[in-house]
Amino acid sequence: MIRIKASILLSTLLISSFAFAGSGPIEERQNLMEETRDAAKVIGGMVKQEREFDADEAMLAFEVWQRTAAEVGDLFPEGSAVGHDTEAKVTIWSDRAGFDQKLSEFASAVDAAIAANPDNLEALKAAAGPVFKTCKGCHEGYRVEKD
Amino acid sequence: MKRLFLLLLVAVVAVTFILIRPAGLQSSDLPVHQADAVNGRQLFYAGGCGSCHGSSDEKADLPLLGGGLEMETPFGVFRVPNISPHPIQGIGDWSTVDFVNAMHFGTSPAKQHFYPSFPYASYSRMTLTDLIDLKSWLDTLPEVDKASAEHALNFPWNLRFGIGFWKLQNLDTDFIVAVDMADKQLTRGRYLVEGPGHCGECHTARNLMGGLDKSHWLAGGPSPEGEGRIPNITPHKDGLADWSAADIEYYLESGLTPDFDTVGGSMVEVQQNMAQLNKQDRAAIAAYLKAIPAQPSAVP
Repeated sequence: MIRIKASILLSTLLISSFAFAGSGPIEERQNLMEETRDAAKVIGGMVKQEREFDADEAMLAFEVWQRTAAEVGDLFPEGSAVGHDTEAKVTIWSDRAGFDQKLSEFASAVDAAIAANPDNLEALKAAAGPVFKTCKGCHEGYRVEKD
Repeated sequence: MKRLFLLLLVAVVAVTFILIRPAGLQSSDLPVHQADAVNGRQLFYAGGCGSCHGSSDEKADLPLLGGGLEMETPFGVFRVPNISPHPIQGIGDWSTVDFVNAMHFGTSPAKQHFYPSFPYASYSRMTLTDLIDLKSWLDTLPEVDKASAEHALNFPWNLRFGIGFWKLQNLDTDFIVAVDMADKQLTRGRYLVEGPGHCGECHTARNLMGGLDKSHWLAGGPSPEGEGRIPNITPHKDGLADWSAADIEYYLESGLTPDFDTVGGSMVEVQQNMAQLNKQDRAAIAAYLKAIPAQPSAVP
């Protein structure tokens, strides 16, 4: 039952992100990051033991992250540095290579987590930890902290 | 009459001179103490010394403290010095009391004021034995052969004696928040946050003189780096009211907020240092942050 709910939730998220497509790169990436965070709530919640471990739910969430890793880089084109309360830092464009490097570290960590296919909480902790570390990689130097 | 005035003037100048002169202890003032480098290492991470003084992005086994970071502020550019144990470029030839005087009084071995970009106004709350332990840990780190650069400050901030006036206003050893002294966890948390952790140096807004506005302790403010804001970490709804002590502890350990956003900006390094502390110390910090007065954020 939980599994079905989770897939409904995730498909709703996917559909809503398509609905937003075409509204400009800033809003698109903001929506994508929201979904990324929703997936983080699933995995983080299990790791923090606020919700029950569920291997399928965790895998769906990892797959959301995989899509983020594949798509988010293209949503930071030149000229998208202002507007819509963006928290993107100008360093994304002044140090594009560094930003892309951090993104690819995130992508590799997600791929490794999926390949590990964690089937218990300890395995999930081991798989998710390195991914969360790479989230910080971009948020450290390429995001403005607004509050 | 004129003579009396002159005498008064000389007296005022003399008293001022004495008041703003760099203070310090003698070796004989230090307690007898067997230095504990393991405790020193904990304090090093509580203070995050490496976040400013680190000289390399490479994750070496031991921190390389060659300095070099430039801090652009409204007062000018502060350039962080080499504090590795190199005898010429770093602080390898400092005695223990030299180190204590730097940390406690912001006074250099040459009896000059350090600028308060070096957050000694927080470190002044550290115990002498902790400072001795910290020095003994720093002594074990690799020497970095790299010269420190001078600050480039705007007038009048480039006049070093002026720091003496700043210290009169801002430097003391008193704790800021009164806590129940019988509660060992709270007093430990207060010590870590107000002392070595120097959390208030960023999380508390500053006045025009660059002193902390202690009446809005830890209520956040504009980022000293220019862009963005430093969050309010008091238990107010503008701050951490919705965070449990366990949430704060988990954030310091993992970098994840209760919403599962991650830590960002300069706080990433701070959090990674906090993750090096033992669990009791992170819990103590969390307990303190839940116990301090709730303050609204200033309107941006």
